[in-house]
Amino acid sequence: MHFVVCAKQIPDPETPPSAFRIDEANNEVIPAPGISPVLSQFDGMAAEAALRIVEAAGEGKITVISLGQESAQAAIKQVLAMGADEGILLEDDALQGGDSYTTARTLAAAIEKLGDVDAVFCGRQAADWDMGQVGLGLAELLGWPSAIIAKDVQIEDGTMHVQRVLADGFETVALPLPAVVTISNEIGDPRYPKLQQIMRAARKTVNRWSAEELGLDPSTVGDAGARLKLERLFIPELGGDVEIMEGESAEEQAQNLATALREAKVL
Amino acid sequence: MSVSERDSAAPVRPAGRRGKPRPVRLTGAWWAPAVGLSGLGLISAIELERTNAGREVFFNVQQPWVVYILLAALTGLLVYGFARHATLWTVGKPTPGLLREVPMRARNALRLGLGQEKVRRDRYAGIMHLCIFSSIIVLTAVTAQVALEDDTPLSFLHGGYYLFFSFYGDLFGLIGLIGVGMALYRRYFDDFHRIRWDERLEDHIIIWGLGLILVTGFGVEAARISVTELNGFILEDGTVLDAHPDWARWSFVSYVIAEALGILDLTQDQVLAGHTWMWWSHVILAFAWLGLLVFTRLDHMIFAPVNAFLLRTDAPGRLTKIEDIEEQEVFGVGQIQDFTWKQLFELDACVRCGRCTEVCPADLSGQPLSPMHLIQDLKAHLASVGPEVQRRGHLGGDVREVAQLEMVGEVIKDETLWACRTCGACVQECPVMIEHVPTIVDMRRYLVMDEARVPATAQTALENMEMRGHPWRGTNLTRESWMEGMGDVPVFDGTQDYLYWVGCSGALVERNLPVTQSVFRLLRESGATFGVLGQEETCNGDPARRLGNEYLYQILAEQLVETFKAKNVQRVITNCPHCFNTFKNEYPQFDGHFEVLHHTEFLEGALADGSLQPKHSLDSSITYHDSCYLGRMNGVYDAPRQIIELLPGVDLTEMRRSRSKGLCCGAGGGNMWQEEVGERRVNHVRTEEAVGTGASEVVSNCPFCIQMFDDGVPAIQPEEEGRIRPFDIAELVERSVLGENGASDNGTPAATT
Repeated sequence: MHFVVCAKQIPDPETPPSAFRIDEANNEVIPAPGISPVLSQFDGMAAEAALRIVEAAGEGKITVISLGQESAQAAIKQVLAMGADEGILLEDDALQGGDSYTTARTLAAAIEKLGDVDAVFCGRQAADWDMGQVGLGLAELLGWPSAIIAKDVQIEDGTMHVQRVLADGFETVALPLPAVVTISNEIGDPRYPKLQQIMRAARKTVNRWSAEELGLDPSTVGDAGARLKLERLFIPELGGDVEIMEGESAEEQAQNLATALREAKVL
Repeated sequence: MSVSERDSAAPVRPAGRRGKPRPVRLTGAWWAPAVGLSGLGLISAIELERTNAGREVFFNVQQPWVVYILLAALTGLLVYGFARHATLWTVGKPTPGLLREVPMRARNALRLGLGQEKVRRDRYAGIMHLCIFSSIIVLTAVTAQVALEDDTPLSFLHGGYYLFFSFYGDLFGLIGLIGVGMALYRRYFDDFHRIRWDERLEDHIIIWGLGLILVTGFGVEAARISVTELNGFILEDGTVLDAHPDWARWSFVSYVIAEALGILDLTQDQVLAGHTWMWWSHVILAFAWLGLLVFTRLDHMIFAPVNAFLLRTDAPGRLTKIEDIEEQEVFGVGQIQDFTWKQLFELDACVRCGRCTEVCPADLSGQPLSPMHLIQDLKAHLASVGPEVQRRGHLGGDVREVAQLEMVGEVIKDETLWACRTCGACVQECPVMIEHVPTIVDMRRYLVMDEARVPATAQTALENMEMRGHPWRGTNLTRESWMEGMGDVPVFDGTQDYLYWVGCSGALVERNLPVTQSVFRLLRESGATFGVLGQEETCNGDPARRLGNEYLYQILAEQLVETFKAKNVQRVITNCPHCFNTFKNEYPQFDGHFEVLHHTEFLEGALADGSLQPKHSLDSSITYHDSCYLGRMNGVYDAPRQIIELLPGVDLTEMRRSRSKGLCCGAGGGNMWQEEVGERRVNHVRTEEAVGTGASEVVSNCPFCIQMFDDGVPAIQPEEEGRIRPFDIAELVERSVLGENGASDNGTPAATT
């Protein structure tokens, strides 16, 4: 069994609101000074799901792939420390930026290059933009079946059994391998790595693949290939406008309030 | 006071060191009567003795040589017994540095071993133990002198010295009986529980055995006195022993018994038969009892003073550094052989007295940790797997396969290890100088680094320290939030006297921001020059180390030592006793040597030298809570109390547990970030004690303590009215120095230099 875990490095969601800044001219988030980016937590859970299956089976290999910049090595190392075997960083100027589609396209190319992959585990969504599209897009591009928002994944005799979270419970679906599954937080927290594994992970080299090595035309990936354009990024201004209802008695105040609400077409 | 005056008085010396002289206690006061009486006895014996007083050494005893066979057997047994113990200790790792600081170690052995400083922390037990201890020492010396008299050319048991010898022999026999009586009372009649938490047959045997030895000793002597010194006797060889009631009176206890025997109207033969019978009982009991040294907790007679010698000579708040951590195969202690031999030796010193468990905040709250049982469980585990580990180690086999039960996880449960607050109360009380806390943290290291078994909430804190440099996940504050409205906050640039270290809790936890601000305003008011690091502060690693993640701790510590050195930090004032302890006691392990003050010490110095003036009367009744890491770990008990004394209108009521006996708030040892399991929460227990004093404020000096009280008060006092309010001592000082509205008065810096 060979599993791929897709891992994204994102700005720390724990950044205090007062340190969160935006470059409105360029529609970009300005990284908060002194606050390092982190592994998107759903991706850690995806790694946990894959690790549980490998542990239960007693065999299997996990490759973690991240599309990002140099700093995304840290996210890969974190999953390696949890117990993944190999790490691949898809890093190239041509691959930077882009949208959910180009991301799925790049990851799909990497998975095809690996060749022998039985299942792909993604987080249900990245915790920065919350699009939730890459997993499904990946399945579509690979031509594999997929199940999203899983709380439990088992593999038996070449079939993946997935418990999917619903609003009022869960459903179990079966998928033939190879398949793509996206993992939800209901699966539980990612494991805390053992120090031996952290040190082993630190010694491992992360492979780097460029657009060219993936056989991708630079015009179809990254910013150049993106079809979804962000129009405007801004921090909404929060404010309140309070009007105190006048009136001699509580009754009169209530009447004035009702009139005011009517006038405002709320009632 | 003008600015310049204030400048000249700016305290750059360590504050709080000089303190008032502490009242000298009459240590070991109960020695006085015994020593005094003996002295009087010696003088009178020399003054009064005009005769050739003395006695037959083996009077009325056939085959006395049997004693020497018994002695040889006992010696053999003791050698065997200790060899067996020592074999077990050797499965442990080497203990470096035990021969460093020998003079201090020797002093510890004298002070804590012979002087029994810790035993005396329980007054009743202290007196009882000293009675028994002194009696055994003196009576052993008495017996040894008899042997010397008999077996060597030396001859000194006659004349004045003999009478004195008779006197102090009886005196210490009596003292021993008093001790045994106290012990029997406590064991059978007192409503006193801790010694019965792990009661075994040997406990009864030891105390009854000792009692019988003393009683038969008096019996032997009384019988001999009855037939010889009272009535006169002719030995088989025809030597005539004249009646000498004046000699007999020196053995004042036996003399009374001998006189009492007269009432029974026994024949001389009956008394002689009783004498022989009692003599052999006494001798056999004594040898058998000493043989218990090998099999029972009586071995503390030897192990306790040795363990006092082995006791650490550095600060109690310091945990050991794992050197070359990346080279290790096992990071913590997961199996018995991962301990150092000193840690294994300690297990044998335990006497099951229960003092540690009696003061343990976890045990007090019905949580799953009893330090005494932890030590005893480890001891039993050592006895069960130690010999096989030893054997396989010799043969080069895999010693990690020996244990049937996992030591960490099964013998000692995970939740037991996590319940520890590292408050050091157990270590403080242990009369045989066992250091439970480092042993517990060593096993935590195994859980965290080798097994990655960490409670979820503690894991979150650790991950947060790793990723974000502070343990407070979910905070909406930044390290500079507290500066709002504080005017110009100076940044530390290496030229100021002090670095004011705010700490993660002081910056990122809502409740502690006012404390940080109070300390800041007081520092400014005092005229001291100081600066802060703001966003450049990172966690110094203390929670990681206490939670067992030594690796993370070392990374954080090394980084921060580098930062301090690069910024030319010489003196640090901290808000938090945990930061204080880490900088002061642990950073020297990373070549970081700084002069560290807790704000309590600084404020005490500034109030004492007048650079801060307490102007406003507070009209407040308070109780003071000693934080473990300022109190027990660093001995700062007086500075906060001196501050309180200097503030007008403050009335201090101490809690029952205070100073070195203070009870932890419940947050120490990383428990700030854990869910408590058990009947009660430690902070509820402590809050109850604070409420019990009737004070309106509970004052401490630690951000964790204050949070724990904040959380505990509503549980103990559901009614909002009349609730006790938790404050930091800096907030109290600020109210007196700057007034209630100090905050608004102080928009501009008071003194800049």
